[in-house]
Amino acid sequence: MAGAGGDLVLTGVRKTYGPVTVLDVPALVFRGGEVVALVGENGAGKSTMMGIIAGAVQPDAGTVAVAGQELSGGDTHAAQELGITMVSQEFPLVGQLSVAENLLLGQRPGKRRVLVDWRAMDDAARSMLKRVGLDVPLRRRVDSLAVAQRQLIEIAKALGREPRVLILDEPTSALGPTESDRVLQIARTHAAAGGVVIFVGHRLNEVRQVADRIVVLRNGRLVADLTPEDATEDRIVREMVGHELANADELQRPEADAALVLEARELEAEGLGPIDLEVKAGEVVGVAGLMGSGRSRLLHVLMGSIPSTGGVMSLTGKAYKPRDVADAVRAGVALVPEDRKVQGLLVDSSLRWNGTLVILRRIARSRVMLTPRADRAKSREIIESARVVCQTTEQPARSLSGGNQQRLIFGRWMAARPHLLLLDEPTRGVDVGAKAEIYRLIDEQRRQGMGIVAASSELEELLSICHRIVVMRNGMITAEFDRSEFSKEAIIAAAAVDRVTA
Amino acid sequence: MSTTSGSVQTPESGGAVTTGGGGTLARLRRIFVDTPEIGIVLAVFVAFAIFTAKNSDFASGAELQNLGVDLAGFAILAIGESFCIITGGIDLSVGSLTAFFAVAAAWVNVTAHVPVFLTFVIIILGGALWGMCHGLLITRLGVAPFVVTLVTFIFAAGADQALAPNPIPITSTVFLSIVGSTVAGVPIAVIVLLVIALVAWFVLERTYLGRQIYAVGGNREAARLAGIPTSRRILLVYMISGSCAGVVGIIVASHLTSGTADSVSGWELIAIASCVIGGVSLIGGQGRIIGVVAGAALLVVLQDGLVAVNVNAYYQQMVVGAVLLVAIVIDRLRIIRLERSGKRVRRVAEVKATTPVPAQDATP
Repeated sequence: MAGAGGDLVLTGVRKTYGPVTVLDVPALVFRGGEVVALVGENGAGKSTMMGIIAGAVQPDAGTVAVAGQELSGGDTHAAQELGITMVSQEFPLVGQLSVAENLLLGQRPGKRRVLVDWRAMDDAARSMLKRVGLDVPLRRRVDSLAVAQRQLIEIAKALGREPRVLILDEPTSALGPTESDRVLQIARTHAAAGGVVIFVGHRLNEVRQVADRIVVLRNGRLVADLTPEDATEDRIVREMVGHELANADELQRPEADAALVLEARELEAEGLGPIDLEVKAGEVVGVAGLMGSGRSRLLHVLMGSIPSTGGVMSLTGKAYKPRDVADAVRAGVALVPEDRKVQGLLVDSSLRWNGTLVILRRIARSRVMLTPRADRAKSREIIESARVVCQTTEQPARSLSGGNQQRLIFGRWMAARPHLLLLDEPTRGVDVGAKAEIYRLIDEQRRQGMGIVAASSELEELLSICHRIVVMRNGMITAEFDRSEFSKEAIIAAAAVDRVTA
Repeated sequence: MSTTSGSVQTPESGGAVTTGGGGTLARLRRIFVDTPEIGIVLAVFVAFAIFTAKNSDFASGAELQNLGVDLAGFAILAIGESFCIITGGIDLSVGSLTAFFAVAAAWVNVTAHVPVFLTFVIIILGGALWGMCHGLLITRLGVAPFVVTLVTFIFAAGADQALAPNPIPITSTVFLSIVGSTVAGVPIAVIVLLVIALVAWFVLERTYLGRQIYAVGGNREAARLAGIPTSRRILLVYMISGSCAGVVGIIVASHLTSGTADSVSGWELIAIASCVIGGVSLIGGQGRIIGVVAGAALLVVLQDGLVAVNVNAYYQQMVVGAVLLVAIVIDRLRIIRLERSGKRVRRVAEVKATTPVPAQDATP
């Protein structure tokens, strides 16, 4: 009787927060026996829809019904009674308890009234684990297990409730390929038994593999309902973003005789080097490497934020030896840091303050006095040029989305007109559309003759925006690839294996 | 990328600003939410009015001058303190430092026969130097500001006794005129306060230095990576605070006409309380001079007013404590409200008129 059938029907569901409509879906039916994938950018309304279905969020209007029974909104308990179960990105397992105890939390198998019937419990737990194909000792404490195993236990726990509607919210984001395949298999099996499966995912290939239908949300609205045949990855991305992504292949080369912006010889610092690096005007140089390979460290040494202990550098032909970041800024170097909230923004201060932070003296009268008019005019210019979407210059930086925050930091540095722009994970944690915007900003700066060094853990990103990629390992550059020789496999090999020559 | 926010209007306040249709109440509430300092200024006047109603002498010229001199001491200390707190630090030493400089001023002038003006210069520079020691210990050795200034607080509390075991009577008329004389009825100490407040306001709100000081408190790492010399800014604020303690030391010496300073004990807490009441965030990055001065004024009016209406000294402290509690609660409620509405929009009206609508196609 696993997942007794019945459709999940959403009718006229709407949710607004203040003036913003985050979800407005006139009608959507999830049929029993079907895996429906739900995709969309961050903030497209996926979580809100999941929350409403699971009873955690009270909709402003509309109804949710399972097999004809209406869900009284905003009540997770009622949703569970109706057979709706959600496996979310977090793992709300009790780490100190054993696998079996977690699986049967709140349930009491067996006949004993006061004491725990361990044998009945073990039997029940064993059969639950079998359904997800996981083999772990029942007495193991859950916090001693790997993330992937915990995710599977969470799914097993959900399946144990025999749900009519199973919601999987990015179930594979923490999993490797083998476990991911298993999760997709579980989803298919559950649907085959008549249940409704809602699969929220970011990996488009998985989505296409598992789903019978692919529903795309954008800005809280349902913009596409596709069959797997129609849903090419291009099509899905286009629907999610609402326009075509810029094609990165048409990357224009810097002039052959372009001047060198940065030249570093035998550069050394604690845990880094010796490193030789050249960057031309109008060139984007990527820095690839695994975590801890020294990518960020290299940028921080170039920025004067970590002191160099040896070697020489020159910037636009002049000797460059920054004692601190202020020195580097004066010389014309800029760094968009990895963690914008910790290293970049004054989150509680206005966009105006954040925007003009590095050019305060330049906009100050006699280089000392800030006039409100100049301050505001300049910050507006910065916000416009970086295309930050906002309501006023006075709203706090924390009120912006991740992508807009990142653009604000870009704008801040663009206003300083640096010669050398250092980017540390330029698109970390921003959604697809904002990514494309940031690539456009990078390209604009490049065209104006800036030299750019971009460190990123996303190889795809470097492959698309860089002219050249250097690969780091143990604080050294181990390989270098020109755009014509770009190969994902070779770069990964160089990052992971000792001394590979390109 | 298409966006839903195509307009500059803030949903809550936009209508009220353009048409006035949002109602005066909503408008008042917004002004209060945007500039919390107004509430404190109002509270000062209300408290003053109540005490005057109970005891008409409270508003007399002589009383006002006394009030002014007391305010000068509190407020100047609080202004110095606010610089430290805005960078996310704190200066606990200012109370006993003020006492030390009061004694030192008398000693330098009377015992060491240094001319009055040179005495003032030495004391204020001494304050800056003392503050510099704080700053160096904090930035170079990474000692917590709380610890550094607690240590010097204890040190200074002994130093004034060591310097002058007995009161040193001040005879210089110039020295005594700081509190004793008035210009157009305004005590010179109050004029000093006004000048310092004006300069402090200007530095914080109208110079790059001030903005950088806020940035250091808002996010020190971000400020550093934006090229702001954070150590030098931190050094500067402790020097400012130390100098302010020197100035207040001179005022106190003049007030008591001799170099003893028992009455100064606990002033560091009053300075910190003034900042908190005036809306300076103890986490750093926020706060304005107007609020700090108003906070100090509220404490002075309460303190002197309760004396004027013959309230027992124990109750005075309880009242001051209660006021602090109310100030903190109101501030928290305001912040929670702002966070809930998700935006902290200041001066919507002027920005509305001038802000662009950064749209996709606004620039190429």
